[in-house]
Amino acid sequence: MGLANSILLTLIVFSPLLAVLILAFVPRHQGGVIKKIGVLGTLLPLALSLMLFASFNYESSGLQFTETAKWISIPVGLQQSGAIFSFDLGYELGVDGISMPLIVLTAIIATLAAVASWNQKKRLKEYFILFHLLLIGMFGVFASQNLFLFFIFFELTLVPTYFLIGIWGYGEREKAANKFLLYNGIGSAVMLIAFIVLFMYLNTMNMDKIAEILASSGNPASAAMSPEFRFGLFLAIFIAFAIKLPVFPFHTWMLKVHVQAPPAIVMIHSGILLKMGAYGLLRMGIGFFPEQAYQFATWMAVLGIINILYGAVLAFVQKDLKMVMAYSSISHMGIVLLGFAAMNTIGFQGAMFQVISHGFISALLFFLIGMIWERTKTSMIDELGGLAKSMPFASGIMLAGAMASLGLPGMSGFISEFFAFLGLFGQMPILAAIGTLGIVLTAVYLLRAVLKTTFGPTPGRFAGVADAQPMEVVPLVVLLGFIILIGVYPAVLANPLQQTLKTIVPIVTGIGG
Amino acid sequence: MDTLMQYAWLIPLFPLLAFIVIVSFGRQLKEGAAAVGILFTAVSFGLAVLTFWQRFQEGATDYKFSIDWLKVGDIVITMGFEINQLNALMLLIVTLVSLLVQIYSKGYMHGDERFPVFYQYLALFTFSMLGLVIAPNLLQIYIFWELVGVCSFLLVGYYYFKPEAKAAAKKAFIVTRIGDLGLFIGICLLFWWTGSFELSQIFDSIALGKLEPWMITLAAILIFVGAIGKSGQFPLHTWLPDAMEGPTPVSALIHAATMVAAGVYLVAATYPLFIASDAALNVVAYIGGFTAIFAASIGLTQKDIKRVLAYSTVSQLGYMMLALGVAGAAGYVAGTFHLMTHAFFKALLFLGAGSVIHAVHTQNVFEMGGLWKKMPITALTFLIGCLAIAGIFPFAGFWSKEAILGAVYEAHRYDLLFIAILAAFFTAFYMFRLFFLTFAGEARGKHEAHESPGVMTGPLLILALLAIVAGFINTPYAPVFGDWLLSGEVGTIIEDVFGAGEGHAAAWLQIAALGVSILGILLAWLMYGKRAIPSDAIPEAMPWLYQLSYRKYFVDEFYHYVVVVPLGWLGYLLNLFDKYIVDGLVSLIAKITRGIGALHGRAQNGQVQSYGAMVLFGLLLLIVAITLTAQGGGVLGIGQ
Repeated sequence: MGLANSILLTLIVFSPLLAVLILAFVPRHQGGVIKKIGVLGTLLPLALSLMLFASFNYESSGLQFTETAKWISIPVGLQQSGAIFSFDLGYELGVDGISMPLIVLTAIIATLAAVASWNQKKRLKEYFILFHLLLIGMFGVFASQNLFLFFIFFELTLVPTYFLIGIWGYGEREKAANKFLLYNGIGSAVMLIAFIVLFMYLNTMNMDKIAEILASSGNPASAAMSPEFRFGLFLAIFIAFAIKLPVFPFHTWMLKVHVQAPPAIVMIHSGILLKMGAYGLLRMGIGFFPEQAYQFATWMAVLGIINILYGAVLAFVQKDLKMVMAYSSISHMGIVLLGFAAMNTIGFQGAMFQVISHGFISALLFFLIGMIWERTKTSMIDELGGLAKSMPFASGIMLAGAMASLGLPGMSGFISEFFAFLGLFGQMPILAAIGTLGIVLTAVYLLRAVLKTTFGPTPGRFAGVADAQPMEVVPLVVLLGFIILIGVYPAVLANPLQQTLKTIVPIVTGIGG
Repeated sequence: MDTLMQYAWLIPLFPLLAFIVIVSFGRQLKEGAAAVGILFTAVSFGLAVLTFWQRFQEGATDYKFSIDWLKVGDIVITMGFEINQLNALMLLIVTLVSLLVQIYSKGYMHGDERFPVFYQYLALFTFSMLGLVIAPNLLQIYIFWELVGVCSFLLVGYYYFKPEAKAAAKKAFIVTRIGDLGLFIGICLLFWWTGSFELSQIFDSIALGKLEPWMITLAAILIFVGAIGKSGQFPLHTWLPDAMEGPTPVSALIHAATMVAAGVYLVAATYPLFIASDAALNVVAYIGGFTAIFAASIGLTQKDIKRVLAYSTVSQLGYMMLALGVAGAAGYVAGTFHLMTHAFFKALLFLGAGSVIHAVHTQNVFEMGGLWKKMPITALTFLIGCLAIAGIFPFAGFWSKEAILGAVYEAHRYDLLFIAILAAFFTAFYMFRLFFLTFAGEARGKHEAHESPGVMTGPLLILALLAIVAGFINTPYAPVFGDWLLSGEVGTIIEDVFGAGEGHAAAWLQIAALGVSILGILLAWLMYGKRAIPSDAIPEAMPWLYQLSYRKYFVDEFYHYVVVVPLGWLGYLLNLFDKYIVDGLVSLIAKITRGIGALHGRAQNGQVQSYGAMVLFGLLLLIVAITLTAQGGGVLGIGQ
């Protein structure tokens, strides 16, 4: 156990490699075997991350399961004393209360997305190899404690996603993939510049050290950075992750991805990849530059409200279910911004709950849309209708998912929404009150979309469509189970988040609650 | 002594268990689901009776219990339950009506394809409603408040294949959610102002003067906005009549007796907040009074039996709000008292209407008639319900309505008193219009009506009995109920502010109110019973007035053109904006980049001279850059 724990994160991050290696030796015509390996391969990281969850220490606020190794050392010159001066880039992993739940979320969604890929028919071998490579990238992003490593893993998620969208997507897949790469490339470039500048000034890539140096005013390296300069860096990091989240007006790429990518990839994309934006914002934006973030809080709240309302109004007029959900994601990510803008424990907790909760909910809803498309060959709202008759189970789950999404108590969406708003009410009550309009609008667009799909008279052509099959019931029930678990017993998620969030807030404002 | 009240948390738990059982085994149970629902609710009812009985004893005290639910930072949020007078009463009402409605539904829903689903929803609703009424803190109230809302939505949309039901369900959810927004904001603000969600702590903060007057007023009005939505008060009343698309037992349970009364309950439960602000109380009183007369005037002309009853519900809820709004001990008691009696006679009326619809398969009263002989039990119990709601002595409604009028009179609010009496006249008229059209005269439709089975008439008889006797617990001569209700914590706070009130009308007021009601009945009899006055006399004399009432003052149309249509246009415009401006701008940048790339490509022309020029230019740029940044503290930061 001791040894396993000391390299547990490495095991989790690289465990998908096993499936990649096995898949490499399976002949491509054996589709059934490939699918089984593809699904079973995700169980290994799932089991390992559940181990991580079980042995996580809730009392500690700092990093756990840390691993450090020397990795790259680049000699760059001589110091006056004659010693060689070099850039050290370490291999540093670790998790705290924020990243651990995200790793578990990633593992769960990955397994369910693999199950959701069961109906995939085209080029299965490449599909599942890329799928598992993507997993490595995602785990790596959340486990990295080093900006260099973080950046590498961050980029590693882009490449497989690009191909997964571009090859296995719907009609305009290539256009969507290109747009995805263009935007995320710009984001990465901005991020890279910010990281390099940080490195040049602070001479370290370790995240904890960077935060520490930046917080100590006595440190000469920290003193060399003026508040304005820091604000510039904060803004660069904010923009880099705002593209990922996405924040208005950087959101258009994500619409295309949600419409064109295959359902399983949308589950991952909306469930996890977008969350890397929120994670980066909290960890690097607010974590490194709390004072600048505090200055920027009002703007964050305003952007959050724009996201919420703009996304909701647009979701209301969309004709395609996928577009409704895509704009819905934009709207829901606005709540994350609001939680951050609150700059107190309640708000941060709401934001992190929203990150996890939306991961489950959007995975559930996109999976359902995939199921409907599979059966009816359409996702246009006007062409659908009355599915509750032939698909009572799936329709019931869809309604439950919509209820979770619109923040019905007893489900995870409520907890996140409530605490994000509650936090903001403590700081900016008027902005928060404007934002709550989104609560009504969410109900308006979700009920419109879901009721048009499942309620009403059943057209003859849908009379015979099959309800959820056993392979589909599993993800539906598991996802809804997690949504209800978090909704009824939020402590399951709040306990790990607690200690870590508590350490961020005093740095920010000195305000406790 | 307190042993039984400690187990009050079991009361909501049994319906939850019923829900889980029916969800899990619905397909196997089929119509046996009814037995599960009835059995579990019966156990809850038994417990509620015991709890109520114990709380009713001399010297009984409130019981409160809570456990930690969630820690956020240094704040611990708890969940629990509380048994005080109001809660104990509500537990009794909800379990009783729910039990009777579930028994009734066994007959009414017989043969329905989704029979178990119906009972599943009913069980979930009963659980949520009971959870709502025993909640000791605002967050918990909000949680169950939303859950009863979603159950209402599910049941209104029970006939999901009907487009009207779909639209009504959506409307019910969205319109009440607009109200919930007020409650949501109110809870958040109160949390930051008082540091707690607990009602008792909020009341303490108010008593200690920690809140500014404007804060109390704002919070109270925001909470009242939630009540407006749930209790169908003007201007958020539009969803309730449409909610009649649900099966009739649902209308009886949710949209008459229990859930819609949750708004009144909420105001009563947070009453110390309201009585600390005159402005908030006035808002409650005038919204309530206006709704009472407004809805009653719509009820005069409706043709659908359930819609008449729905507007009557809206109007009666307005009465309750009015009573709470005029404040004082008398108002508090009268509002709560009317909440109870109304639950019985309105459930009775809806179930009676269900029995009629079950027999004649229409909801249009002009296609009914002559049912008195064919359905004697339904007709008799319906008559009792009508007499009760019209406030005829000695039925339950007489006592509670008289208490409300008395409270309004005592507070010297003569404008509101006038409204309340006029509304009482309307009520008597439209209820007996309904009665005569349905049961008297000749049959107008082509239907073979016969009396409903025992499972349906049984609950009718029990409710009829309650509609007769329930008023006697609080007569002016023996105000047992009022004294008991005021003996608790909230009662003490009220009496601290207002002093103990009598709350019963002067004798002349009682007689006047009774006379007005009898006048209403008489007019209805002349028009629809004896037909001495042609029923289309008024529509022909004043067609615009008739249309105004019949078309419900065009409120729905107003919302459609002022809210729904503009929202659609806004969405349409933003959609274009998103597509062509936001996305277009980025595409433009991409094109510019490509253009620069092409420009760069042209520079690769193979001529040494131009390369040389470029190198020179680049060197110059570098030198300038290094000189500038060297002063700035060394961007490269090496060797520091």
